[in-house]
Amino acid sequence: MGWVTDHPPRMEALDSCVACGLCLPVCPTFRLTGDETASPRGRLTAMKAVASHGMEVDERFAEMMSFCLQCRACETACPSMVPFGGVMEASRTEARTQVPVRRDWFRRLLLVNVLRSRFLLRVATIFAAVMQRIGLLIRLPVVGAQTRGLRPLSLPVRTTAGGTWGNPSGDVAMLLSGCVADVWFSDVHKATIEVLVAAGYRVEAPANQTCCGALAAHGGFADDARSMANCNIKAFASADVIVTDVAGCGAHLKVYGRYGDDGAGVAAKVRDVNEVVASAITDGRLPSFPTSGRKIGIQDPCHLEHGQHTATAVDVVIGAAGFTPIAIDRGGQCCGAAGLYQIDYPEISEQLGRMKADRVTDAGTTTVVSANAGCEMQLRRFLDDGYRIRHPIEVYRDRMMEDDRRPTTDD
Amino acid sequence: MPLIDELVALLGPERVRHHPLDLAVFAKDAGVTSGPVVAAVFPETAAEVAACVKLAVTHGVPIVPRGAGTGLAGGAVPIDPGLLIVVTRMNQIHEIDEIGRTAWVGPGLINLDLSTSLASRGLHFAPDPSSQRASTIGGNVGTNAGGPHCLADGTTVAHILAAELVTADGDIVIVGSDAPDLPGLDLRAVVVGSEGTLGIVTKVLVRLMQNPPNAATLLIGFSTIQDAAATVSRIIASGSIPAALEMMDRPMVEAVEAFVQAGYPTDVAAVLLAEVTGTGQSVADTTSLIESIAHSNNAASIRVATDSAERALLWKGRKSAFGAVSQKAPDYYLHDTVVPRTRLVEVLGQIYEIGERHGVEMLNVFHAGDGNLHPLVAFDANEPGMFERVRAAADEMVRASIEAGGTLSGEHGIGIEKRDLMPLVFNEADLDAQARIRDAFDPQRIMNPGKVLPSGSRCFDASGARL
Repeated sequence: MGWVTDHPPRMEALDSCVACGLCLPVCPTFRLTGDETASPRGRLTAMKAVASHGMEVDERFAEMMSFCLQCRACETACPSMVPFGGVMEASRTEARTQVPVRRDWFRRLLLVNVLRSRFLLRVATIFAAVMQRIGLLIRLPVVGAQTRGLRPLSLPVRTTAGGTWGNPSGDVAMLLSGCVADVWFSDVHKATIEVLVAAGYRVEAPANQTCCGALAAHGGFADDARSMANCNIKAFASADVIVTDVAGCGAHLKVYGRYGDDGAGVAAKVRDVNEVVASAITDGRLPSFPTSGRKIGIQDPCHLEHGQHTATAVDVVIGAAGFTPIAIDRGGQCCGAAGLYQIDYPEISEQLGRMKADRVTDAGTTTVVSANAGCEMQLRRFLDDGYRIRHPIEVYRDRMMEDDRRPTTDD
Repeated sequence: MPLIDELVALLGPERVRHHPLDLAVFAKDAGVTSGPVVAAVFPETAAEVAACVKLAVTHGVPIVPRGAGTGLAGGAVPIDPGLLIVVTRMNQIHEIDEIGRTAWVGPGLINLDLSTSLASRGLHFAPDPSSQRASTIGGNVGTNAGGPHCLADGTTVAHILAAELVTADGDIVIVGSDAPDLPGLDLRAVVVGSEGTLGIVTKVLVRLMQNPPNAATLLIGFSTIQDAAATVSRIIASGSIPAALEMMDRPMVEAVEAFVQAGYPTDVAAVLLAEVTGTGQSVADTTSLIESIAHSNNAASIRVATDSAERALLWKGRKSAFGAVSQKAPDYYLHDTVVPRTRLVEVLGQIYEIGERHGVEMLNVFHAGDGNLHPLVAFDANEPGMFERVRAAADEMVRASIEAGGTLSGEHGIGIEKRDLMPLVFNEADLDAQARIRDAFDPQRIMNPGKVLPSGSRCFDASGARL
């Protein structure tokens, strides 16, 4: 039957693979299995087999696609510059459409209905915060183990959407509040806002924004992802710069060009907060502090390194905060968090999480920064309580506050 | 019991792939040919490989070994429905002898992973095919692979001391040894480069080399191919063999630079990438010697990189060349001929002329130091009749190389792609002798049959020897 959706994997993208195989060694699932069908090249061959050689989108196809972590390390390694993330998302939508998925309604409820509804997110967060306080959250079925990596959830629930901060005449930096990031990582948003205000921006978090749609797109809900993107394209149209402090969301906003010219306009203005702060430090709008000699480990989220090619901005931020940045496993593999992957393939996720935790241990630093919420949770889950896992901008903000001789508000 | 069921009973369902989509994925390597696969299996020990071989023999199914599938000659592609024995899980470093500078490794170990894991001991494995980031040691052995640094260090055969082999009988034997001069026939050298036709290599004793204390990489641009080639000849004639001497023409440089952004000059006709290694003074001396030769041959630009990150980026460009071709067209076809260095300019001229005459797009990237050409045709296989045109052009390029006193293949192996061109370089007696050696190992022709030697190599039949 071939492809059936309106937006199948683009033929010219599939054709751009010449099958050289240089993606194989950087693919975590190929590394673990040695299996071509678990490699980027093998997955592209499978897509081509459907597109051109009469193969069916069947359960095996769906399995080959869902086994991918979508870390996009293959894109960085690819001399043919195959846009792998996009064709993988399209293939997943095809698979979901053609092959019955177990608990599909529940996945859609989670990835689409909850994430795009501020009300449902708030309800879910209050529930989770209460469960966390009485120690029952980690005992929940299916998702319990993953919640070990959560920060303590604040009650009452704090959100940023609808807020404005800072110099009214400054350049407008619009903050992507996001979905779970807004309610679970509100401390990171707070640090981001404080540092951007210090850099002279007027920070606005548009009230009419929604979830970026990354998880929906990764999960094969292309139409829902599109409608979320369209909502954000309107909400962010007037920004000078659009700032995200979750690498996964930033990487996804940067592919909004697939939704047309307005999308491309928004995508072009998207910056990870580390990029914005690093350039403000470089041109003197934000201070560099004298070095303390203390070390901080830097974990490179895939969606910063491969999705946005900006991983080194974090080094600048941490260096300017007075610490010696220690790269952890640079150029290495995905930590295995990968959104819903940790529920779909818990063993692989755990194996990769433990490997990453071992690299942290090797590096010998007990404070580690990660610019992505999912990686942060994964690190905390597999490292013992002696390690502090933070967002790089929180570290910089604390150093800034210390200098102002004001107490920190974090933690 | 059917073969698949027996394999599943042996290895478990997770290590036997046989769904039609799996078979489609495994039907191809990095080359242009594809073939029918019965199943792909992932043994983890020599004993499991031997058991798979015995099952395949019982069922009369040919066996094709496969590593990372980065080969370009179809070595890992079955001709008749075959069982793929994939060795990627046999990727251990079993033991390292730091004093004797050897290591026993699995055939599925990725080439570059070996050198990376030896870095802290100051050692490396020298043969470095451009695909080394992905290709396996087993592939090195199968094709007797070369690579840029084989100019000074020699190809794979000079770096393999012994190999454990599962034969067509399912026996596990060792050829070679760590002794310096083994009595009897050197079967090790016969196995290296045999492309899986003599058995399946399950363990390899590799020679390790010391990392050079200093290194410099020169990137030299030329306004004409002739000047670049003349520089190569003059450098070799000077008696100092650099560690590597690579050339890329302009279309290739453009594609590579778009990917790596290493500062390759895209306004010159050709670039030469030369690497010099050794101690500080000798590196400095050889570097300035190469610079002066380049100047006297009208070099348009010279850049010397001594910083390891900068050198690595330049090499990443060179070693991504084949993949980068897709910026020009979705498919490529290439040969791997060797010509005498003195005739580089002349043969390159013929190659461009052949490409133009057949109306195909040509890119050139090659090991200039040892005259190992990779004339590469970029094309779109979806265009009707295109592949036939490309093949005809490539075939002529091979003949031109051989007529100039060169040979058919430098390092990629013969596989399916170059099999029927073998009579261009070997006569009946040569081919017959090679076929007899193969029959001594594998009388039933169950090991990667149909590869390397054209059909009828024994009692040679010239009628089938054309592509």
